[in-house]
Amino acid sequence: MNFKDTVKIPPDVMARQVGDETVILDLASGNYFGLDPVGARIWQLIGEGKPLEAVCETLLDEYEVSAEQAREDLARLVGQLQAQGLVSIA
Amino acid sequence: MREGGRSEAQVSYVAQAPRAQSGLTEDTFDQWVLPDGTPWTAFYRQENGYLLRFPDLADFFVSADGQRVEERAVPGVAPSTVQHLFLNQVLPLALSRQGKLVLHGSAVEVDGQCVAFIGESGRGKSTLAASFATRGRRFLTDDGLELVWAASGLSVVPSHPSIRLWQDSQEALVSASTKAAPAVEFTTKTRFLAGPEIAFCETARPLARIYYLGAGDADSAEIVPAKAADALLALIRNSFVLDIGEQEVLVRHFEELVKIANLPIHYHLDFPRRYDELPLVQAAIVRHAAAGAHA
Repeated sequence: MNFKDTVKIPPDVMARQVGDETVILDLASGNYFGLDPVGARIWQLIGEGKPLEAVCETLLDEYEVSAEQAREDLARLVGQLQAQGLVSIA
Repeated sequence: MREGGRSEAQVSYVAQAPRAQSGLTEDTFDQWVLPDGTPWTAFYRQENGYLLRFPDLADFFVSADGQRVEERAVPGVAPSTVQHLFLNQVLPLALSRQGKLVLHGSAVEVDGQCVAFIGESGRGKSTLAASFATRGRRFLTDDGLELVWAASGLSVVPSHPSIRLWQDSQEALVSASTKAAPAVEFTTKTRFLAGPEIAFCETARPLARIYYLGAGDADSAEIVPAKAADALLALIRNSFVLDIGEQEVLVRHFEELVKIANLPIHYHLDFPRRYDELPLVQAAIVRHAAAGAHA
């Protein structure tokens, strides 16, 4: 995964914040997915069109986490979202 | 049209003469299958509506707007069986076509308000409703929980005035003199009709709490707040929606459930599956429902 990339959310994927978490609905399949608070924040940053590098920097500012850990967590989540067709890499 | 001011009064119902089920040219767009793999319901899109086929039992045509249901039973299938299918499976789906929100859940009245119990089959929804209704409180539904937005917030609409119970729950909760509907062919559950022994609330009540039922691992009644996202996913899992292929239906449904999930009314409830424990469970729920929003 290239951290200079931007992640795009397809138009038939909608997400809503509930409490401090986010639930995603994939309209194409009718499937739902839940994101924990950190995942919800990443989803929000991705939705703002920030490249992954910038998303990672924001995570470092907001959470007590090492740069290595932040990149690893971000790559894992984006990989999972991509596998489910909820995001594409631009 | 069936009688009454409840959920089933919102759909016009026509029974056609019984006829053997013929082959259908359309492909199914959805199927419900029993845990043992037996096909239970096949869903077909047809002109102006949907055909719901329960193999060897009955076909139901539901108009696209959900206002009308036409039933055609297979010859020899008892009317009680067909009514059971209509009330428990077809009616909630028809109401969903009208844009109404119907969930797998039971509901009882507590001090003028309503508390609802949501959970998969076997989690005790009907047993809890019967436990309240046979001990001085009234029930609004034993399944097919219809929610409507009123000026004061979310309300529960009463459904058919009957409770379906498995044999063991019947023996523990219902006296021998309680009136039951005729037996149904595909289940050993008995449908008990509301009356002097099972009290029914015929008018909508504001919803104060939703309890999501656990697996029965607790040693005594345990009530803990549910996270909004967990509540939302449970509401989604337990929704009746006919034709999730229609994206605008799906979007509207999702937005509505998000609104409900963000209300401070969601709790997990677990309790031991012992009938002698039910009065204590009931007391714990009544206490909890009477307390503040985040008790």
